[in-house]
Amino acid sequence: MATAMMAATATSCSPRRAPVVASSSAQPPRRQQQQQPRRGLKQLPGLVATAAAAAVAVAAAPLPALAEQMEKAALFDFNLTLPLIATEFLLLMVALDKLYFTPLGKFMDERDAKIRAELGGVKDASEEVRQLEEQAAAVLKAARAEIAAALNKMKKETTQELEAKLDEGRRRVEAELVEALANLEAQKEEAVKALDAQIASLSDEIVKKVLPSA
Amino acid sequence: MNIIPCSIKTLKGLYDISGVEVGQHFYWQIGGFQIHAQVLITSWVVITILLGSVIIAVRNPQTIPTDGQNFFEYVLEFIRDLSKTQIGEEYGPWVPFIGTMFLFIFVSNWSGALLPWKIIQLPHGELAAPTNDINTTVALALLTSAAYFYAGLSKKGLSYFEKYIKPTPILLPINILEDFTKPLSLSFRLFGNILADELVVVVLVSLVPLVVPIPVMFLGLFTSGIQALIFATLAAAYIGESMEGHH
Repeated sequence: MATAMMAATATSCSPRRAPVVASSSAQPPRRQQQQQPRRGLKQLPGLVATAAAAAVAVAAAPLPALAEQMEKAALFDFNLTLPLIATEFLLLMVALDKLYFTPLGKFMDERDAKIRAELGGVKDASEEVRQLEEQAAAVLKAARAEIAAALNKMKKETTQELEAKLDEGRRRVEAELVEALANLEAQKEEAVKALDAQIASLSDEIVKKVLPSA
Repeated sequence: MNIIPCSIKTLKGLYDISGVEVGQHFYWQIGGFQIHAQVLITSWVVITILLGSVIIAVRNPQTIPTDGQNFFEYVLEFIRDLSKTQIGEEYGPWVPFIGTMFLFIFVSNWSGALLPWKIIQLPHGELAAPTNDINTTVALALLTSAAYFYAGLSKKGLSYFEKYIKPTPILLPINILEDFTKPLSLSFRLFGNILADELVVVVLVSLVPLVVPIPVMFLGLFTSGIQALIFATLAAAYIGESMEGHH
């Protein structure tokens, strides 16, 4: 809780304070050294010893309290959790591999392969379709040609028939004309013969009248 | 005069609700060893979520995927892509490792932000994301180290160790140091990010309980996802690095 945080900050402050105290206690002897270097050389081992002792005492003093706090707030507390989590992770990996990665991956790969194969098949079919289209075009062309031929033939036949009928009609008309002309000629000749006979009798009479009893 | 004690009391109450517990653990004893029970419990929940959703979604794969299957296919493609770009053509056997790494860290991080762990009271400590504990992140980082050593040794045999004196033997100390800095940086990056994220959210909630922490929470979700991605990508990159040949 919050109190624990405050306590942690407090403990983190206390060791910082400690070295300051240690250094301040260690400084006066150093000044003495500077002032009286010859004597200082002799005193040096003793001074170092006392300073070290003080430092050790200062360092040792907060340790129990610090340890107590560390027990309370253990951020970097390694224990059996680590191998247990590692084991759990490995088991999870195996389980996910068996349940998820391998089966679904295989399924997806197979589906990919299938789709690719079907796409290839579709390409082949398109060629087939083109062939079929060509065939259809050829068939259409042939049919058109056939129809045109048939149409032409029919046209020819009908015109021939018509011409034949026309010829026949003309011939009949001509024959009738000839006949009518012949009739007319005969009638004319008859009329001329009759006229000739009348002319002969008339001329006889004229001669008789003109030439009286000659 | 009455207002101040009252507000202090409410503040204290708020602290009690949204208290910060850093480094407080709920200990179990197993054969004389201590374990952090809260980490194990949350990791079990995470594992249950993962396995449960996977089983439900991928139990009966359809040619035309439905919602759940679609999602997990997307995740698998994402993981395969990640492994392929980092490891190269021989990425196949490493997909389960990288994928589990990513999914476990991702679900762990998000569980810390999304699941209401506070509902369950522990005698000591509190439930949080499993990646909130240094044990988890170090375990994952050490597994990554083991994985890339295994990858290199199985690919190249003992000549794998030649990489320590390449390009020159002068770099030998640095190359050896790298084997220690890799898991160290991996584990501390994840641990620090997740812990800091949860701490920021908790502290903000304790200061201003309404509205203000929400953007930070979203930032936390974003960071969590990024951290999972970074961990998985780096693990794959290390494996790929130890497998690539200079010959």
